[in-house]
Amino acid sequence: MLKVQGISKSYNRERVLENVSLEVSPEIKALIGLNGSGKSTLLKIIAGIVPLDQGKVWLGDEEVTRQPPEKRNVGYVPQNPALFQHLTVDENIRYGLRNGRGTENVVQEMVELMDLKEVLHKKPSELSGGYKSRTCLARALVPRPRVMLLDEPLNGMDAALKEKMLPEFRKVLKASGIPVLFVTHDVREAELVADSFAVIHDGQVHAVGGAEEAFHKMCTGSLGGE
Amino acid sequence: MNKAVINSIFLPLFFLLVVFPVIALVINLDVQGIQATMADAFFWISVRNTVIAAALAALLGLVVAIGFSYYYLFYQDSIIYRIANLFNDLPIALPHTVAGLALLLAFGRKTCGFLGETGAAFTLLAVVLAMFFVSYSLAARTLVSGVDQMEKEVVDVARTLGDNTAQAYFRVVLPMMGEAIFSGFILGFSRSVSEFAAVIMFGGNLPGSTQVLASYVFTKVEVGDLDMAVTAAVFCVLLSLVIVSVLSFRRVRHA
Repeated sequence: MLKVQGISKSYNRERVLENVSLEVSPEIKALIGLNGSGKSTLLKIIAGIVPLDQGKVWLGDEEVTRQPPEKRNVGYVPQNPALFQHLTVDENIRYGLRNGRGTENVVQEMVELMDLKEVLHKKPSELSGGYKSRTCLARALVPRPRVMLLDEPLNGMDAALKEKMLPEFRKVLKASGIPVLFVTHDVREAELVADSFAVIHDGQVHAVGGAEEAFHKMCTGSLGGE
Repeated sequence: MNKAVINSIFLPLFFLLVVFPVIALVINLDVQGIQATMADAFFWISVRNTVIAAALAALLGLVVAIGFSYYYLFYQDSIIYRIANLFNDLPIALPHTVAGLALLLAFGRKTCGFLGETGAAFTLLAVVLAMFFVSYSLAARTLVSGVDQMEKEVVDVARTLGDNTAQAYFRVVLPMMGEAIFSGFILGFSRSVSEFAAVIMFGGNLPGSTQVLASYVFTKVEVGDLDMAVTAAVFCVLLSLVIVSVLSFRRVRHA
């Protein structure tokens, strides 16, 4: 389980996150927000990539607030696939194994689940957008992380491909049984992937009942004091 | 202001001040000078010294630049980075005679007497160190520029996969910066080849020992052997052209 409590973050005195609290049980939670709402910052704080000003982060029973990213064992899928260009797909997926994260069985399982067998020996530059995203997801899942953090992983992909890939992603993520925080600005995307929903607005996070409510709240900005 | 105006300023100045001096060298080439220079053992030793010392200086520069860009990527707020960054700019503003003198005092007889009567000074090692001192910052800047152009998320991902900063740097960042590393080496090498003042101050100008191409040309002019000086100078131009062509070829290929 992922739990964040009272997280605040400012950049150059501009408050990006204000006392944010959030829990993600073994489910896929979509955090929906407009561009610049602080959702990516929150994800990076949870991953340990960006330091926070205030607040605490727990993974399971362990408080990891001051731990560096390499100690947290979180799976991180950024907006751009960020594949290691000098390595093949196979080497990308196995990267966590170098640090004792994951097993050969999990690698094989991911290759099967993500249908990557045909492209294992290709370099990222030879892959289509869809395969890049699959490789990135597989690479993050191989170490069996305590939580998966997905930052608009299909950003830049056309709508039709997203409609095809998001249910695939959901299937794989649900099969892993790992808590997932999926941030996006696209309500439709969230609807295709998530079990539960939250909206981030003006640096604060609010739970909502469904994608429709999230959309309504984002449009009207009626979030505070409810 | 239109293209014709720019051309009327740029083209005459460029050809007069950049191209013409090189042409002046070439048209002053003389058969006897070429023959005498090609037969001069000291010339070939100076070529060998130049290439070996410049290559070693560029390699050493690359090693230090790799360390510098690591601090640039991960620890820009650290005092180590701030000091290193300040010293990085020093060779640009510093007269290279001052650099040579500084090296002489740092690694001369007083501090490195165990290496010989003059310490490290007036040896090939001194030539390498002098070349390194003036060329290292070019390699460092090139690598930093490579880091800037890189997709930063790869570092974030590597760290979430269990890499500490050094592991992420050596396993992911450096292998993806092959082009910047190569450019850093070539720029460091070419700057080293062209160095004169720091080399002559610290390494000396001993024919057959620490003399490099730049100081060979200087010596020949000084003793009035202009034909040989011109030949050696044209050789320098050709060597430089080869170096910059290698760099341009790589840039075009990777564009």
